Amino acid sequence: METEIRNKPSFANIRIKLGPGDRVIAEADAMASMSSTIDIKTMWSGGFLRAVLKRVFGSESLFVNEFSTESEGELILTQPFPGDIECLELKGNTLYLQPGAFLACEPTVRLGVGWAGLRMLIAREGLFRLKVSGTGRVWFGAYGGIFQREISDEYVVDSGHLVAYEPSINVRIGMAGGIFSSFFSGEGLVTKVTGPGRIYMQSRSFGGLAAWTNSHLW
Amino acid sequence: MMGELLFSGGVFSDAIDGGRAGAEIELLPMGILARTPDGKRFEVPYRECQLEIGGFSGWMVFCRNRDRSLTIFCEDRKFPSALSSASAGILDEQLNDKLKKQKSESRRGSLIAAAVLVAIVLLVVGGYFGVRAGARAAVRAVPTSVDREIGAMAFESMELGGPELDDPAVAEALQSMIDRLAPHAALNGMEFEVHVVDSPMVNAFALPGGKIVVYTGLVAQAAEPEQVAGVLAHEMAHVTLRHGLHRIGQALGLAAAVNLLLGDTGGLVAKGSDLFQLASINSYSRDQENAADAEGARMLHAAGMDPMALTRFLEALKEEKGDLPGVVSWMGTHPRHEERIEAIRRQAAEWPKQEFAKIDVDWADIQELAK
Repeated sequence: METEIRNKPSFANIRIKLGPGDRVIAEADAMASMSSTIDIKTMWSGGFLRAVLKRVFGSESLFVNEFSTESEGELILTQPFPGDIECLELKGNTLYLQPGAFLACEPTVRLGVGWAGLRMLIAREGLFRLKVSGTGRVWFGAYGGIFQREISDEYVVDSGHLVAYEPSINVRIGMAGGIFSSFFSGEGLVTKVTGPGRIYMQSRSFGGLAAWTNSHLW
Repeated sequence: MMGELLFSGGVFSDAIDGGRAGAEIELLPMGILARTPDGKRFEVPYRECQLEIGGFSGWMVFCRNRDRSLTIFCEDRKFPSALSSASAGILDEQLNDKLKKQKSESRRGSLIAAAVLVAIVLLVVGGYFGVRAGARAAVRAVPTSVDREIGAMAFESMELGGPELDDPAVAEALQSMIDRLAPHAALNGMEFEVHVVDSPMVNAFALPGGKIVVYTGLVAQAAEPEQVAGVLAHEMAHVTLRHGLHRIGQALGLAAAVNLLLGDTGGLVAKGSDLFQLASINSYSRDQENAADAEGARMLHAAGMDPMALTRFLEALKEEKGDLPGVVSWMGTHPRHEERIEAIRRQAAEWPKQEFAKIDVDWADIQELAK
């Protein structure tokens, strides 16, 4: 299976060349185009109950599609908003994805929903997050560019910019500065992450877009 | 046997492509061994091991070698105690120290989270009442010309449910009662003006600024002019107490508070106009009805008119409710009339006994015109 992420970073999409026996699982509605030789099978995302959990709490769709072919074919997957897509190879390790970030994975990757905790709700990061583990490649998308950072000590991320993080990352909520600057700097509450581990961030946030759009409506 | 020796966890190491991998962790007699899925082996001897505790869950244990180039980590809750016994106690000091620190930190974290939650709740509740109080103060600061404008606007756009009565005699008779009451109003600057609508509904209402709408059904229903004067005084009290503006202010304040909380500015305008409709003038709260009763009775008494006439009207409505379908409307918007009758009685009992001048209109004539 040959894959390539094209049109990076603004309008990234995944081009996958499937050979006989190759399979890839993708978020429902992620397919933009494909060869007619490719079969598409829709299934509950990890079983009915997990699918419902993921839908309700992880902002993922109820169904996932499995693409396969007996000969060969090309598949283009994309995400609904402008932004970059990142590919990550799991080697038995785990990654937490923020709601809505997941795009596709190889069938050997396990998808689950985990409780993220009240602190993530306060940080406006959602009560639940998607947990991807096992071995194989995972593709996830973000709004804007994706940049990653190895964290060893403490690092500050504005809320809404965290896309993915490893379980070894500790996440705490803090104020951006003192009381005054926290309220008036426009930063408010921020996420403080402590390593060791890696985090993935997006260079734009949906909250920022929504606020900007709102301010131009009337 | 020292309990479990196999756990699942992971490794950070530059020797792995990508720097990390999941691993099966085994506690050997001399050190911690991690095996990655592709068969690589990593080991940290206990005597070199530098421990740290953290991760998202707060109980992930990190074991690092001396130059920190290798980290083996495990999130299993049984791992710390297994590590302690497998290492024959040489890691206990580090382990206890870090666990204690982690515990106090997580306790502090939950305290902060609880404090933030409480603060949010307080902000919501405080914001709501603050905005309501602010709305009350704002109404006081608004000039009465605004009341008149809102009233005029509402009157124009309103569906009255019938045409205005052609013959001005009925309106003139009612206006004469209002003119007697007006000098005793609690607030200057209102221009009381009665409109009589030809409709069998037994209803009357007031708009901000002083427009009062009376339906002919109410005139026909009242056995004596004093009863209508009682209703008019009640409606005038709504005007002078500016209940309409208070309702609008509260409704907008609530919408603003919701908006502040949920950050939905887009819906504010739509919601505001909805609430304006909802709060529109004819639906007052219980407290406002009671206040209008008391203030209306005071005005009647001050103008030398019988304040008990309103209670007689309410009683007549109560008795005839079954026969008259139209009665429901004034009753519907003015519930609990028995309590109200009692409250007006108590209020009137405190005033010295007084002879009330009869209202000088030929009531039978007026009722005939209103039919």
